[in-house]
Amino acid sequence: MVSLIGRTLVLLALGACAAGGVAGLVAGKTRSPQAWKLSIAMGLAFAALMTLATGVMEYALLVHDFSVSYVAQVGSTSTPVAITMVSLWSSLEGSILFWGFVLAAATGVFAWSMRTRDPEHGSYALGVLLLIGAFFTFLVAGVANPFLPTPGAIPLDGPGPNALLQNHVLMIIHPPALYMGYVTMAVPFAMAASALLAGRLEASWMRSLRRWTLFSWSWLSLGLLLGGWWSYEVLGWGGYWAWDPVENAAFMPWLTATAFVHSSQVMERRGQFKGWTLTLGLASFLLTMLGTFMTRSGVFNSVHAFGEGPIGPIFLGFIAVCLVFSLLLLGLRLHHLEPKNKMAGVVSREAVFLLNNLLFVALTFTVLIGTLYPLIREAYDGARISVGEPYFNKMSLPVMVAILFFMGVGPALPWGDGNLERAGKRLAVPTAVSVVVGAVLFALGVRDFWPLATFVTAAFAGVTSIRELIEPAVNRAKKKGENLLVAWWQYASRSRAKVGAYTAHLGIVALAIGIGGSAGYKQVLDVTLTQGEAQEVLGYTLVFEGYESQQQPHRRSEVTWVRVYRGDRDLGRVDPRMNHYDTMAQPIGTPAVISAGPGYFGRLAPSEDLYLSLTRLSDDHRAVSVRVMTHPVIWWVWIGGLMLFGGGLLASWPGLVKLKEKRGAKTKQTVDA
Amino acid sequence: MSGQASSAPKGGPNWILLIVGGLAILGFLGLLAFGFGEDEQETVFSERPAPDFELEDLDGKLQKLSGQDKPVVLNFWATWCVPCKAEHPVLLQNASLYPDVQFFGVLYGDNPAKARAYLKGAGSAYPTLMDPTGAIAAAYGVTGVPETFFIDDTQVMRYRHNGPVDMNVMDYGLKAIR
Repeated sequence: MVSLIGRTLVLLALGACAAGGVAGLVAGKTRSPQAWKLSIAMGLAFAALMTLATGVMEYALLVHDFSVSYVAQVGSTSTPVAITMVSLWSSLEGSILFWGFVLAAATGVFAWSMRTRDPEHGSYALGVLLLIGAFFTFLVAGVANPFLPTPGAIPLDGPGPNALLQNHVLMIIHPPALYMGYVTMAVPFAMAASALLAGRLEASWMRSLRRWTLFSWSWLSLGLLLGGWWSYEVLGWGGYWAWDPVENAAFMPWLTATAFVHSSQVMERRGQFKGWTLTLGLASFLLTMLGTFMTRSGVFNSVHAFGEGPIGPIFLGFIAVCLVFSLLLLGLRLHHLEPKNKMAGVVSREAVFLLNNLLFVALTFTVLIGTLYPLIREAYDGARISVGEPYFNKMSLPVMVAILFFMGVGPALPWGDGNLERAGKRLAVPTAVSVVVGAVLFALGVRDFWPLATFVTAAFAGVTSIRELIEPAVNRAKKKGENLLVAWWQYASRSRAKVGAYTAHLGIVALAIGIGGSAGYKQVLDVTLTQGEAQEVLGYTLVFEGYESQQQPHRRSEVTWVRVYRGDRDLGRVDPRMNHYDTMAQPIGTPAVISAGPGYFGRLAPSEDLYLSLTRLSDDHRAVSVRVMTHPVIWWVWIGGLMLFGGGLLASWPGLVKLKEKRGAKTKQTVDA
Repeated sequence: MSGQASSAPKGGPNWILLIVGGLAILGFLGLLAFGFGEDEQETVFSERPAPDFELEDLDGKLQKLSGQDKPVVLNFWATWCVPCKAEHPVLLQNASLYPDVQFFGVLYGDNPAKARAYLKGAGSAYPTLMDPTGAIAAAYGVTGVPETFFIDDTQVMRYRHNGPVDMNVMDYGLKAIR
């Protein structure tokens, strides 16, 4: 029954998408109000139907209805309720359904927001968006249908979801955050396509386009952060980024979307870079599709791979259609959008934006080539190689430091033709601060070139960003005689986008510090601890106190208890463990992470993580081999990532003031009429 | 209404972009499509000669791959590896079912004394080789234990399995080499 209802809802959603998609394109071409109304209605219907379908699947999961094939595949009566709820995205079919649901929700919001907008732009965009929706719904209805009835006898219990999903809370929220970023990137794609189809692009359309991109970008940032954090907390190798093909696949659209967010401002203010900006917008979505393809096709070997299936070739076909569509749009329609102005001068904000844009795109290509190179090589002479961290680190580090540098320069320069002398004055303070920071760090023993360069540049960019966050408030306080806090609040609530942008910039600064410190100065040591004996390791004293085997319905854990001291201070007892799941051959470790070290602000701002990862346990459980690592300032990575997310969301939200203005304008119109 | 009029085209379609972009897309898609033909488990190892080894077993006897006239099953394992212990009975059973196949265990990153003690309790039906430097594991490209290689009587690798074997895997692998 549930299976039938689910399939019906999905088929109806497919119908709504197809009809609405065609109606949208027709409405764009013919300006037919009926077609436009139809496509909006279909957009809302798509959202409602997919929400219902997802709800039905959740219901089936929760009541353990094993007559539904997906439930039989990932459900288990022994799985905790919370895990059962999120097992919606633990396997291919469910994840595609969830994907369709997020896309449908975004389409619904977009359709609703378009009711009052320029129908030509809106209808083309909604048409394209609904056709993308049709593709995903087609997958859910066809090759990746989670609602199929279970073949043969209905089982009494199932195997439960992927063991990795059950291992840590971050794994539960990492996929949906990333999906939010990936899927909603379809909206900027559709909007950029609509600008090209309509042959015009106004500042107001570009502003909406940037907001949607910022929204996706924020979630993509969060998804990347959570993935890295999870890897660090769970996988036990002690890192958060491995340049795995699928990590790269999510990083590339993040890079192009970042470039887009910046070049779109130049387009909006100066009328330049239209083609470039739209290309970035289109490319961001295409890269998310490439990323999806990578995880769903089995072409790339990765921890993220879902395994092979018929979905790969179909997906490749869809990517081909999207690529050709984008290329045709750019080749045949771009000349309708001629630039208004030539570049004003080298000393201008747009010049720095252009430079940074080029760096972002260069970085994207570097990552793309590194990711695809194993495939190229294999096609060429059959050799199987993998491109590892050294390539990516070596190639990307200089570019990243350069981006960081320009991030410090840009905000100090005005739009349009700038004056070198004035720019020099604006940059004096950040330069001075970074020189002092560099000298102090050098004196403290930070002598390696890249970490030092990273910290100095981070200080430079950090000062600029902080100044942009407080200077306007200080000026306002002086001018209006307000209290500084009041003035800041007034400024922040009026310039939400700006505050969001510089919060994100500060997030990048924090990330740079965290990555520079934790990658440049981590220490690793493999030790064997004997029960009851204290051992000095990397400035800590470790005592292996005992062993315990814990049995849970879905797993068995071998837990070791290790007490940690730093000097005389007892930092507590931690429990690095090894988990065995019935469904998985290899055990999955859970390392113990303790935020310790000589933190000046105690646990609030720990300066170092001590990281213990269980590698081996002797048969009599009296000796344990542990990989011990210290990661200085790693918390800055997580904090920086969260600042990106928060700043991006803040900047993407329509400002209160703007909403009020809009409402005012509307009232006025009504009065005039 | 005003859209097309206000921004009348000032140039023509960009043919260079279309041609270059079209070629790039073709190349890119071709590359991704090529990836489908590849299946890690099957193609890399079929027809590949198995690296030879000459190792001492736990009883001190020298064992060689070259010169074996029987197909060989090579199983990398360790006592600290829980799934290895789980698959051990399957291997024992198959070794006694198929006397025409030579089974070898290879100890991976472990202490021979522990292995002897373990086999004493769990039972043993074939020699376990010691690979103290890990050179043989490296030559076979072992990614983790347990991992099992199926080698035919001409010393060509026919199948490899990552993770613990079960009866189905053994059936599949033995069919490929017997």
